[in-house]
Amino acid sequence: MQLFWLSFGFGLVTASVLAIAAVGLSLQFGITNYINFAYGDFMALGAFITYVLNNEVLHLNIWLALVGGSLAIGVVAVILNRLILSPFARRFNKTFYVLIVTFGLSLILLNLMYSIWGADVRFYQMPLARSMHIGPMLLTKYQLIVMAIAVLLMYGVHMMLTKTRLGKSMRAMSDNATLAMTSGIDTKRITTITWFTSGVLAGLAGTVLGITEGNLTPASGELFLFVIFAAVITGGVGSIYGAMAGAVLIGLATEVSAAFINPAYKLDTAFVILILTLLLRPSGLFTRSGRRA
Amino acid sequence: MSGIWYYIFTLVFFLFDYFILAMGLNIQYGETGVLNFAYIGFVAIGAYVTGAVSLPSSKGTGQHYILGLNLPFPVNLLLGGLASSALAVIVAFIALRRLRTDYLAMVLISLSLVLYDICNNFVPLFNGADGLYNVPEPFAGALKLTTNSFIPFFAAVTGVIALIMWFFMSRIMRSPQGRTFRAIRDDEVVAAALGKDVFRHKLRSMLIGSFYAGIGGGLIIQFSGSFNPTAWLPGETFVVFAVIIVGGVGNNIGLLVGSLLVETLLVHLPAFLPAIPGHPGLIEYIDAALIGILLMVMLWFRPQGAVPERPRLTASFGLESRSATDQNAEFNEAVVETTPAPAVIGASQNGRDLC
Amino acid sequence: MLSEDEIPIPSSPRDTISALSCEGLTRAFQGVRAVNGATFEVPNGQITALIGPNGAGKTTVVNILSGSMTSDAGRVCIGSTDVTNWPSHRIARLGLMRTFQLSRELGGLTVLENLLVAPLHQAGESLRNVFLHPAKVKIQERENAERALGILDIYGLYKLRDLRASDLSGGQKKLLEISRAVMASPTILLLDEPMAGVNPALIDQIGGYILDLKANGVTVLMIEHNLKVVEKICDYVIVLAEGRTLATGRLSELRENKDVVQAYLGEVINAGTVR
Repeated sequence: MQLFWLSFGFGLVTASVLAIAAVGLSLQFGITNYINFAYGDFMALGAFITYVLNNEVLHLNIWLALVGGSLAIGVVAVILNRLILSPFARRFNKTFYVLIVTFGLSLILLNLMYSIWGADVRFYQMPLARSMHIGPMLLTKYQLIVMAIAVLLMYGVHMMLTKTRLGKSMRAMSDNATLAMTSGIDTKRITTITWFTSGVLAGLAGTVLGITEGNLTPASGELFLFVIFAAVITGGVGSIYGAMAGAVLIGLATEVSAAFINPAYKLDTAFVILILTLLLRPSGLFTRSGRRA
Repeated sequence: MSGIWYYIFTLVFFLFDYFILAMGLNIQYGETGVLNFAYIGFVAIGAYVTGAVSLPSSKGTGQHYILGLNLPFPVNLLLGGLASSALAVIVAFIALRRLRTDYLAMVLISLSLVLYDICNNFVPLFNGADGLYNVPEPFAGALKLTTNSFIPFFAAVTGVIALIMWFFMSRIMRSPQGRTFRAIRDDEVVAAALGKDVFRHKLRSMLIGSFYAGIGGGLIIQFSGSFNPTAWLPGETFVVFAVIIVGGVGNNIGLLVGSLLVETLLVHLPAFLPAIPGHPGLIEYIDAALIGILLMVMLWFRPQGAVPERPRLTASFGLESRSATDQNAEFNEAVVETTPAPAVIGASQNGRDLC
Repeated sequence: MLSEDEIPIPSSPRDTISALSCEGLTRAFQGVRAVNGATFEVPNGQITALIGPNGAGKTTVVNILSGSMTSDAGRVCIGSTDVTNWPSHRIARLGLMRTFQLSRELGGLTVLENLLVAPLHQAGESLRNVFLHPAKVKIQERENAERALGILDIYGLYKLRDLRASDLSGGQKKLLEISRAVMASPTILLLDEPMAGVNPALIDQIGGYILDLKANGVTVLMIEHNLKVVEKICDYVIVLAEGRTLATGRLSELRENKDVVQAYLGEVINAGTVR
């Protein structure tokens, strides 16, 4: 039982990382209607820019570096969308072309990172932290901070979507892009802002992944991508709140499973849950049938 | 045999092998529109099974693997192909049936990563990260070949196999089944409205394509005698996509050209360039990134590929052209239309045979 | 064209088994009921129009009838067979073909190939036949090609037969859409606004094609806004409004029907008579 609570605690940490990543992916998917397969690489790139700010260039404190890394990916995302993704998406009427382009972008980014930083494992400059007892769970202060960041972000995204005009425009575009356009919503501006947000969240998620895992390599993001997909699909594709719920489910499930099976396969548990969802309730576990939040 | 010949015949082998792989992915993606982002996983299963069934029982070999049945070539190769097809059936029933393009792609990429993870970590399966090695050379007993003569020999064998598989694929693509595949690719809803059982056809497409993937993978392990996870990181699927898109979707000659262009870039270039001191692997990284860039450039400027798909013209049905009654046609052409045709990619070509 | 006295009036559709019928069809999208209890019968061998104001649910009904969409409730019958919620390919195999409001050509195929996809039972769709009985496949392909060329000729598309379908103009795509459905030898044909966006000269031509289909025994149900066309070629009219059947009968009767007139706000129907 002790083991269960320990795993549960770690599960909350993983869920936090996943939630940030999954929401970023969902926001972008809602607006553009295609999945960005380079998302994992956005995450890794964010982690590496943070690394550079933390370890090499300015020797910033990890949290400040984190901000820098996240914002940088926001900008990168907007640029890549303007230069590459958006033109391809407009030109071809079948989604699979732009999906291949994102897949190609993933390859390019990954190898770019390998070229610059090599395949070696890197570590952030962070003072060592001891694990603290939080009830039956054992967590470091970094893990707690990451969880806090995740909760704040979820709340922030929720507020933005429901209370601000920007958020309502995003939801409108997500439901029906043509209608949104004719209703006077500046879809181009909203798209840019969404990509920026998605990029920031990706960079943030990649960095906290590096913090919680304790190390980073250029491929870290890609290898984690399928877990994010699992969270998004089990939660219900296209639903932001579904993504959050899916993140919690997958995060907890993968860590708790590590208590029972060989921990090397804990991430694969996410895949099993994904398959089960597809077989039993393909529209997602947290959405009403056929509805998109 | 001097090093350059050894090298050239290795290139020839991969040219033919990637041609086979490209044909497999083409029937799935190019002909039927199934975006199989897990393709390399099917190739790997073919390689592993081909190797594992031809190895002797694993006890005492220092390796850990399942099967170990000491089967000869080409039985092991065929089993490798069938194993891939079996995986395709499972994937089709679970994922293909229920998901549209982008969600399917997400699930397939995940499958690819998970398969990789399992093969890399679960040692009893296919020896984990070390992979299979010392796989018996095909025809080892019958022909006593040295390493030097094995390579050109097996490159030739692969060439023959590729030719046979090309023949079969050609027939399939030109048949009504091929046409139905393309109809599904162009518009699934219309195909269904015309009575086609879309899932069944997609399943067939997956089966055929995976068989080709398995054979291609099996040939790799037979050629090099070993196969481990580094050979099939999930991004490798992209290389096969690049072969198809650069060469020409839906055209077998195009696939051969694509295999030549991409494979030469991938295998050829890094080996010829001197390694940059202090930066191991840099050439490979830049090279891989270049493939991605090449693909995007091709997709933008010439999406039909180097050698475009050839439409099946009336003459090929063996009918004499008739003098049409046709007054209606002139009438139609002369009349001003109220609805403009939507701009669709490819509208710039007039669809005639361009090669 | 037959005059009004000569066109046989179906006495009561219930006397004969109708070609196609539905009962209590209901379908909602995110809480909004697009179809709300639609019930009607399509008489055999006639040209029936499905009319109604915008938003009445006509295309949704056709989608349900052809199997492209499922219904939340209700029944669909083809002849006496219950085909409720069958997938579209199974319904197509019973001989029901449909066209789409916005033409959906198979863009990567040639015009001829578009038609060649249509026949229901093709030996060459089985790999066994392709490799073991190639001669049989070749003969059937040739026969299909001959018939297809004949149809293309009738619809004035023969000269375009080897062009990529995506290169056709809007009107040509419309003709392709209809001729492709005809190639499948349907017993029932659902046309979704065949005259939409088509210039007046072509309208008469398409009208002629539809009458020819009827002469060949095909039952036609067409969604149509152009009441002049409906008046000219349709034997029977079903009026849909707010997702349910408002009235059925001949157009001349319906013009007197207060509910129908109200549904259309009087404008469209009057416009039909003025010409």
